[in-house]
Amino acid sequence: MNPSLKLALVLLISLEVSFTQKLGINLILIMIGLILILKTRPSGLTLVRLIAIPAIPAATLAITIGAFSPGHDWFFAAVLASRIYVYVCLGSAVTLATTPLELARSLEQNCHLSAKFAYGTLAAINLVPRIISAVKTIRAAGQMRGLTLSFWSPQLYFKAILSALTWSDQVAQAMESHGFVDDQARTTAHQIRITAWDWVILVVSLALVQGGLIVLP
Amino acid sequence: MTQAIEIHNLSFSYEPQLPVLKVADLTIPRKTMTLLYGPSGSGKSTLLKILAGLLPKYGGQLDPGSEISLKATEAAMMFQDPSLQFAMDTPWHEAEFALENLQIPPVEMPARIQAAFATVEISHLAHRQFATLSGGEKQRAALAVIIAMQKPVILLDEPFASLDPVNRKRLLQQLQTQVEAGKTVIIADHDLSNYQAVNPNVIQFGTDHQTQVLTSQAVRQLLVAANQQPVIPAKPAAQFPAILTGTNLKITQPNQVLIDQAHFQLPANQISLLTGESGSGKSTLLKVLAKLGTYQGSLLYAGQELRKYSARRWGRKCGLVFQHAADQFLNVTVAEELALSQKQGRHPYFTPANLQNALTKLGLAALTDRVVYSLSGGQQKKLQILVMLMMGQPLLLLDEPFTGLDAKSAQAIRELIDACQATAPATILVVSHQLNGLADWVDCHFKLQNQHLVDRGEVLA
Repeated sequence: MNPSLKLALVLLISLEVSFTQKLGINLILIMIGLILILKTRPSGLTLVRLIAIPAIPAATLAITIGAFSPGHDWFFAAVLASRIYVYVCLGSAVTLATTPLELARSLEQNCHLSAKFAYGTLAAINLVPRIISAVKTIRAAGQMRGLTLSFWSPQLYFKAILSALTWSDQVAQAMESHGFVDDQARTTAHQIRITAWDWVILVVSLALVQGGLIVLP
Repeated sequence: MTQAIEIHNLSFSYEPQLPVLKVADLTIPRKTMTLLYGPSGSGKSTLLKILAGLLPKYGGQLDPGSEISLKATEAAMMFQDPSLQFAMDTPWHEAEFALENLQIPPVEMPARIQAAFATVEISHLAHRQFATLSGGEKQRAALAVIIAMQKPVILLDEPFASLDPVNRKRLLQQLQTQVEAGKTVIIADHDLSNYQAVNPNVIQFGTDHQTQVLTSQAVRQLLVAANQQPVIPAKPAAQFPAILTGTNLKITQPNQVLIDQAHFQLPANQISLLTGESGSGKSTLLKVLAKLGTYQGSLLYAGQELRKYSARRWGRKCGLVFQHAADQFLNVTVAEELALSQKQGRHPYFTPANLQNALTKLGLAALTDRVVYSLSGGQQKKLQILVMLMMGQPLLLLDEPFTGLDAKSAQAIRELIDACQATAPATILVVSHQLNGLADWVDCHFKLQNQHLVDRGEVLA
């Protein structure tokens, strides 16, 4: 499915789910999300993280509402907890099945987002591995100069922010050195099309969610 | 289009009244290879960036009277540090991005990119993530993208800094083919070895920020002198007591085994040189020794397993001079960097008088109020090595310490290290492609080839 439409669909569904209190539809959406996630053959660790990390806010929310709110409404507690999993599962289904480059290209071509924004963000995402290794390097550099920089050390963040500032300048220079000019027309190596089938999936999915919201408890 | 690139009355400065580059009159002929040669900080990179249109857009001021007969859109530039030039995740995507920007029809892209990648012999790396490429591989990828862009003028800033002689010759040959195909190639370099075969024009940059076109005779002399590859006499490592011992050592990278060795030992309190082709794993080995990477097997330092040392304890035993100087700095100004090393450092050589002396010799004495990131590449390198020497760790690893340094600065650095060694000897391991001046300086020499660290030392009769 077209990356931009996929993103729009998930955002629309998440928005609807936020304003309704239906447990059934939440559970069905979680199942669909999980199936889509499994189709991308994620690593075991990714799966465990996807399930374990949201468990903390989900459980906290459920216990607060169910055990400590005046009504002890355990149904509402389950709705809220499952809602968190809906967001996580649908969101991961999109991010695991789409590379950032595909999404950037689609946003540029289909949604006519400015190329500067689409590729600037993409360049920032591609910086992530460098940010992680930069933090490691900064800590090692500190260690070798007799300074232990903990994760809350201002010096670590000062240096990290400084690196980020230089990088933002460098990313701009890098893009410009490869011919990027703001607001200038570009060709596209890969056409990202929105097919009739994409629209059908979007409309049918939304209709099914509406139906589910009316019919299910 | 066909007339030469003319520069008149160019003056560029970062701070008012302090020009870092002044060019009265300079003519760079088209369809030839021109070499900008001079010591670090003499303004070579600055001129390239001005020609590429990146300066003064990204800092500094160009004097209003400056004239340059080259449109920035005619030129494509390759940066000194290739990893700073990529906005995408793989070489192929980067090349596509560049060609999209140039509004090349999509049907022409694959053939054009494939041809450029084949020219630089990186077709096998096209879809690898940049994070998994070595410094030399990144440099070739950056060049491939530039070639794919097919601009009439190609600007290269220290394009061979992380390449070994074999790859260096290969790339130069490929650039020569570009010149024969009608391109203008302008290279900034401080190291002239291997240029003899391509016979470039040479423009010399002086420390007084003046430029001068050299006569063909002067060029020939310079190139011949630079081409004499030094032989590095070294002693066998086994004749010294070992401080670091590797057993069944295995160091790997995604898709690649870099080192797989049954036994290795590093001699204590000697200067050892480590050479090897680009991408063979020299930097990775240094990172492992600095505990910034993982290894299998055993690595004993002074009888204790490396992975058992805590990061804090190891930081007191081992210093790594990073390939990128800016990574080393923790403060803002030169004075603050020096103050930190004075406070935390333990090297007995650096008395206030000796430190002042070292600063003068390295040409840093007048720069103490400067922000470290505003120094030239060479000045950053010298400061970086100085502040690490002051720390006085018993094991010091240097990753390409002479990159971006002119011969005089490199010599000053070696003399400083010698003076430190005479006061309190440390075990020093140097990775360097730049072999000039190292012949009488190193004690031992290892070459990393075929996943082995081979001791190149010979017992001299």
